[in-house]
This record gives sequence, structure tokens and C-alpha cells, in this order.
Amino acid sequence: MNELAVMEDYEKFRRGAELLLNHPDFSVGTTPSETVYTEDRVRLIHYLPTVKTPHPVPLLIVYAMVNRYYILDLQPDKSVIKKLLEEGFDIYLIDWGYPAGADRYLTLDDYVNGYIDHAIDTIRERSGQGKITLFGVCQGGTFSMMYAALHPEKVKNLVTLVAPVDFDTDKGLLHVWAKSLDADKIVDYYGIVPGDFLNVGFLLTDPFRTVIDKYVGLFERLECDPGNEACNTRNEETVKNFLRMEKWIFDSPDQPGETYRQFIKDCYQKNLLIKNKMVIGGKRIDLKKITMPLLNVMAEFDHLVPNDASTPLTGAVASKDKATLVFPTGHIGIFVGSKSQKEVCPKIAAWLKPRSLSEGAAEKKAMPAKRKGKGTISPPRKKK
Amino acid sequence: MEKFDPESTFQSTQEYFDLWLKTYQATLGRLVEMPAMGPAREKQEKVMQVFSSFVNLHRVWMESNTDLQRVFTEAMRRVRERTGDKFEGEVSPERYKDFYKIWIETYSETFHEFMKSGHFAGDMGRFLSHYLDFQRLNREVMEESYLKPMNLPTKTEIDEINRELYSLRKSVKELRSEVHQLSGKH
Repeated sequence: MNELAVMEDYEKFRRGAELLLNHPDFSVGTTPSETVYTEDRVRLIHYLPTVKTPHPVPLLIVYAMVNRYYILDLQPDKSVIKKLLEEGFDIYLIDWGYPAGADRYLTLDDYVNGYIDHAIDTIRERSGQGKITLFGVCQGGTFSMMYAALHPEKVKNLVTLVAPVDFDTDKGLLHVWAKSLDADKIVDYYGIVPGDFLNVGFLLTDPFRTVIDKYVGLFERLECDPGNEACNTRNEETVKNFLRMEKWIFDSPDQPGETYRQFIKDCYQKNLLIKNKMVIGGKRIDLKKITMPLLNVMAEFDHLVPNDASTPLTGAVASKDKATLVFPTGHIGIFVGSKSQKEVCPKIAAWLKPRSLSEGAAEKKAMPAKRKGKGTISPPRKKK
Repeated sequence: MEKFDPESTFQSTQEYFDLWLKTYQATLGRLVEMPAMGPAREKQEKVMQVFSSFVNLHRVWMESNTDLQRVFTEAMRRVRERTGDKFEGEVSPERYKDFYKIWIETYSETFHEFMKSGHFAGDMGRFLSHYLDFQRLNREVMEESYLKPMNLPTKTEIDEINRELYSLRKSVKELRSEVHQLSGKH
């Protein structure tokens, strides 16, 4: 019995090592897209629609700066982007790039009132729509709230996914630790805060699991059935998916110092955003200026952005049409877990679809059809 | 053979370091903190500041290490408590896996409790603060003593250029926007 168990463990390790030595191709972010706008290191990506007629109101995904956006498109079978495309949305996404050099002086104002605003204007021009759906993820959700409060005239719907708004909680380790950070010293010394600095913080949230158990678990999950082609394929996929996640976890961009400084001091330490006292670009952010439909999505077991940090958004805005969704997943599981495809994306899509009609679409439906020509508005064709 | 007691070994280390620190502060430390004199006083004072900062960093590192050691000891104690005599005798792969499971869960829980405490946040904040003080002073000495005499660019100079670059970029964007708006009106 003992010898068999030892052989099985050895075989699992051997297969894992063999798969790694075969240099598996583990591409990420493979959903077809095009770059439609660039500004400095930032680029606006447009995902090629997979339906004939996407919903009129385009959707802009604003991801966090602390990690790379392709977690939303990590694996072909677990891609949030792909799923939303299948649901008929016209999707854009901001790629923040890898800040360096002069970017150390970029402020929150530059990001929210600069890059995000210019990206939205580009989308509005391309789509012909006056307003877009803003879909903010994690820190990107916090940026999206700020933008929606400052520029409500350009936002039709606001969707926030695991996004913090109230940072005064002790339920998340990052929230506890950030209060003791001297952000001024960090930024004055580094200028551009190294991505590795943030990585260490993320690893410390559960060091034994992230540094040891994760790797043990990889080999444990490899099935062991010599000669079984289907088993070999599954093993290969397990290794590839592990490597994709591994790539994403350690692909942390450096952070522009001034943005980092303000985010830590004003959000994590002084918690100004939920108090409606945060100022960027000389303008105070008043969350009550958010009046558009809001969908606030959370992960029940989120250890990075606890629910206490996200829930208050629903009560802080003046929107009449608002909803909250909570899924039994973790922070990253909500993007790449099995529930992401089966529950999260479909429920977000179900909420968003009726709110993604163009402005005045209901009125247009009631209007009689006019002669087609320059400057004439034709009513939308009824689907057969 | 004397039974190994991690607490007593650790306490000895701490006591030794405390004694060293007291001795340093009473002797060499006083020399280091003394105002510098002579033609090279500026550089000398800077170098002494770096040394002093390094000692402070080491002190804070020892304090953090002390707390970490205590957590490791507590985690080990809890593992012993949970395993009891379950793993005495022959070690087999299955039993090793069971032990590993208990070990990883116990260590994760114990460290999570400590890391959630204000104590760890304080330790980490202090360590980082002293580390950055030391690095900043060290870099200033490197720039003054080596890079500038060798006519090599320093981070301070590069930061000044970057600041100017950022400011120019911003101005260009604002002007471009104004031009675009004005041309749109005609």
C-alpha cells in the first residue's frame, strides 16, 4: 500500500515536470480585439463583436491599475470578456500599460478626468451614442464611481464589480495594513512604486498557501492514468491554466507615485470618498451625483475587497434604479471561477441588456417610419 | 540531552541584542550622533546619518523578527496540540499528507490572526519607514560621493527632468484640446 502511494506521488510529480519541460503554450487575453485609441502608455481596446447586432450602448471596462486586465480574459473557456460578447455587448477596455519614468507624476485627476474621459469620448464618437455603460472592476470600480460622479452626463449605467468605496473596515488585511503605511516616504523614495512591492503585500495576505500550498496543489491535481489520452489532455490544461494564473499574479505593473499617494492617503487612510470629501482636479466628488442605474456586484468571500467596503455604495448614490448582487466566490474566483460563466456574467447581462438600448429608443419605436435618406432617422427593425 | 526550548533560545537572542543596543547608544552611538567638523563636515554628517539610520533599521528589524518568531512558536505549539500522538510510529505518504494538511491550515490560521492585528501593521509600518529612511539617505550619499564626481546622472536629476516632461505633456494636451475646440467652432 505504501509503495503504491509513493509511486503515485512520484508519477504525478514526474508528469507535472514533463509537462513544464515541454514549454506549454499558455497564451492569455486571446479574445480578438483592436486598439482604437492610444494616449501615452494607455490604450483603448475594442473587442470584436461576436453577434451581428450588438446592443447599442457600448460598455467600457475599467480595470484596476494594480494588476493586468487580462484576468478577465485569462482562459478561452473562462473569459468574462468572451461571455459578455456572446451576450451581445459592444465591449471596450482600457489597458493602463506599464507606468515608468515621467508617469510618476500622473495623478488621479490625470487618470479619471484625463484618460478615462478621453477614452469615453472616443467611444461616444465611434458608436454615435451620447452615453456609455461604465463597468469598473476592483480599483477600476473606484475610479468609475469617481468618474460617474464627476461626469454623469456621459454615463448611462454604472456597474461595479468587487469595487471598494468605504475603506474604513478591518475585514480585509490590506485595509488594516494601509493605515500604517507612510505613503509619502514610499512615493518620495521610489517615485514609481514597484509592482513587486505590491506583490509582496498580496502574498502576505496568506503566505503559506500562496508560496507553498499552491505549488503542492498543482502536482496533487494532476491525474495519473498512463496511456489515457483524455487524461493527458486534462493534465496539460491544468498546467496551462496554472501557468496563466501564475503569470497574471506576478505581472504587477509599477504604480505612478502621485496616484498611489492620493489613493492610499485619501481612500485607505482618510476614507474621503464615501464621505463625499474627496477632491480630484480641484473638484469634490459627490457620490449623490450618481443618478444613473447602478449594479453593485460583490464576492461573498472576498478577502481583498471585503463586502463591508463595497456594500455602502448602493446607499451612497442617488440612483433610483439600483441593485446589488452577491456571489459565493472569492475576489479572483468571480472572474475565473466556474460560477463566473454560469452565474455572474449571465446575471450582469440580464440586468444590463434592457438598460443598453440607445437614448430615446422607446420613443423611436413609437414613431412612424420615415423615408430613408441623409439626416433621417429610421426606426429600429423588429426582430423576426 | 537538554530539551530544546525555542522560547528561552529566542529570549536570549533578544536580551543579547538589547544589551548590544544599550552599549552602542552609550558609546559608539554618541560618536555617530556628534556634530561633524572640518572641510568634509557635510559629507561626514551624511555618512553618519546613514550609519545611524542603519542601526535604527536593524533595531526595528529585530523587533519585527521577535514578533514573527513568537508567531512561529505559537503555530508550532498549535500543530503539536492538533496532532497529539496521531503521527507517532511509522510515517506513510497518507499520514504525511494528513500532517501536511494540518500543518498548512494551522500555520495559515495563526499567521492570519497575527497579520490582522494592529501589532503586525505597526511592525510593518515601522520597518518600512526606517527602511525607506535608510535607503533615501544611502542614495543621497551615493549621489554626492560617487555619481556626481563621476559626472553620471543621478535619480534626483532624472526626477527633475521627468517632472518637467510631465508638465510639458500636460500643457501640450491642454493646448491641443483648446485648438480642437476652437477649430470646431469655425
